[in-house]
Amino acid sequence: MNDTKKAVRLPEAGGMWDKAAPFALLAGALLATLGFILTFTTAPLVLGATVNGVELIGDQMVSNKLLLSQKIFYFHVPVAIASMLALAFTAYYGVRFLMTKEARFDTCAKTATETALVFIICTMVSGELWTRFEWGVWWTWEPRLTTYLILMLLVIAYFILRNAIDDPERRASYAAVFGIITFVDVPICFMITRMIPSSVHPVVFRTDSGMSPDMLVPFLICFFGMILIAFGLYRLRFRQARLAERVALIKEHLED
Amino acid sequence: MHHYLTLLKKDLTQEFRTKEMLTSMGIYALLVLVVFGAALAQTASGFDILQMSGGLLWVLIVFTSLLGLNRSFAHEKENGCLEGVLLIPLDRSVIFLAKATSNLLFLFAVEVVTVPLFYFFFLTTTTPAASFWMIVAPLIVGTVGIAGIGTLLSTITINTRGRDVMLAVLFIPLVYPLLYACVSATTAAIIGSEGFMDVFAPALLLAGGYDIIMVLLSWVLYDFVISA
Repeated sequence: MNDTKKAVRLPEAGGMWDKAAPFALLAGALLATLGFILTFTTAPLVLGATVNGVELIGDQMVSNKLLLSQKIFYFHVPVAIASMLALAFTAYYGVRFLMTKEARFDTCAKTATETALVFIICTMVSGELWTRFEWGVWWTWEPRLTTYLILMLLVIAYFILRNAIDDPERRASYAAVFGIITFVDVPICFMITRMIPSSVHPVVFRTDSGMSPDMLVPFLICFFGMILIAFGLYRLRFRQARLAERVALIKEHLED
Repeated sequence: MHHYLTLLKKDLTQEFRTKEMLTSMGIYALLVLVVFGAALAQTASGFDILQMSGGLLWVLIVFTSLLGLNRSFAHEKENGCLEGVLLIPLDRSVIFLAKATSNLLFLFAVEVVTVPLFYFFFLTTTTPAASFWMIVAPLIVGTVGIAGIGTLLSTITINTRGRDVMLAVLFIPLVYPLLYACVSATTAAIIGSEGFMDVFAPALLLAGGYDIIMVLLSWVLYDFVISA
C-alpha cells in the first residue's frame, strides 16, 4: 500500500474481527438454537392470526386454530432481515468501490452478496414450507413473495454478470453498479406489505399490535443469533477470499 | 445541450440510414403477435381476452424492447464508435441521456405500429371500454423506464460474454416492478369497470416513482459504467 492511498482504510483479513468471527458464528448458532428452543417452550401458540396481524386469509377468519406452523416465523423473519442487511452492505461497498476504485471493496461487496444469497435461499425455503402449510399452495403471486423472488433473481444475476466479465476492474465496476441498483428492490420488498394492504403476507414490524413479550424475546434472540451468524459467515468468507487473493499475488511475484 | 442534440442526431441519422433496429423490432413484434395468435387459438369462445390483453401487450413490449436494446450498442461497439464518443470532452451523463432518448424514440416508434396491430388482431372481436385510450399513459411511463434502465444495462452487457442472454438476465428482474404496475394500469384502462381509477392511478404513480428512481440512478451511475 503506497502512501497516497493511506487515506482510505481498507478492510483486511486477519485482524481482531477475524479472530472474533468463529466465536460470533458459534455464539450466533447457540443464540439461534436457544431462541428456537424458547420458541417451542415459552412462546405461546398463535391463536389464529390475531397476534401476528392477519385477520383474513382467503376471505376466511382464521382465529379458531392454534397455529403450530407459525413457529417457522422465528426462523423465517430473522433470516430474511439478515439477507436484506447483507444486501445493504453490498450496496455500501459498491458505493465505496466506485468512489475509491479499490479492488478490496469489490471483494467485500462480492462476499456480502454471497452471504446474502445463503440467507435468501434459507428465507425462500422456509417461506415456501410455510405457504404450503398455511395457504395451501407452494407458490402464489403475492406481492411480498414476488418482490422477494425478484430479489433472489437479481442476486443470482449479480453472480452471472460477474462470471461473464474477465477484466477484473470492469467486473468490479459493473458488479458495484448492479449491486446498487439491486438494492432498490430491498426497501420495495420490505415495504410492499404496507403499501398493498390487501396483501396476504403478514406485516410483522408494526407499532400498534406487535408481539407479546413471550414471543418477542425468543424472536429477538433468534434475530441477533442470525445477525451474528451472518457476520461470522461474512468474515470467514472474506478472510478466505483475501488469503486467496494474496496467494495469487505471491504466485505472480514468484513467476516474475 | 449542444452535445446532447448532436449525439441524438447521430443515432437517429444512423437508424434512418440502416433502419436496422426499427425493422428488426417491428418484424419481431409482429412475429410475437403471431405466436400469441397460436397460443390463444385453442381457447374457449367465451374466453375473456380483455382480462389478458394488458398482460399480453406488455409481454410484447418487453420482449421487443429487449431485442432493440441489444442492438442499440452493438453497432457502436462494432464500428468503434463508442471510443470516438468517449474521446469527446463532455459529461458522460450526456451520453446516457442521448442514448436513452434515442432508445425511447425507437421504442415509441415501434409501439405506434404494434399497439394498433395488437388491437386489430385481438381486440376487434370484443369491445374495450371507453377508457381504452388511457393506456397511452402507462405505455409512456413504462417505455421511459424501460429505455432508462435498458440503456444502462445494455452498456453493461455489451462488454460481457453472451451479451444477449445477459441483458435478459439483468433486465427482466430489474424491470419487474415497473412491468407489474404498468400491466395493472393497462388492464384497468382496457376493462374500464366501475371505479377503475382506484387501480389505475396508484399503479401509474408506482410506475412513475419507479421510473424516477431508476432513471436517476442510471444517470448517476452511467459514468462508472461507460468509462470502465
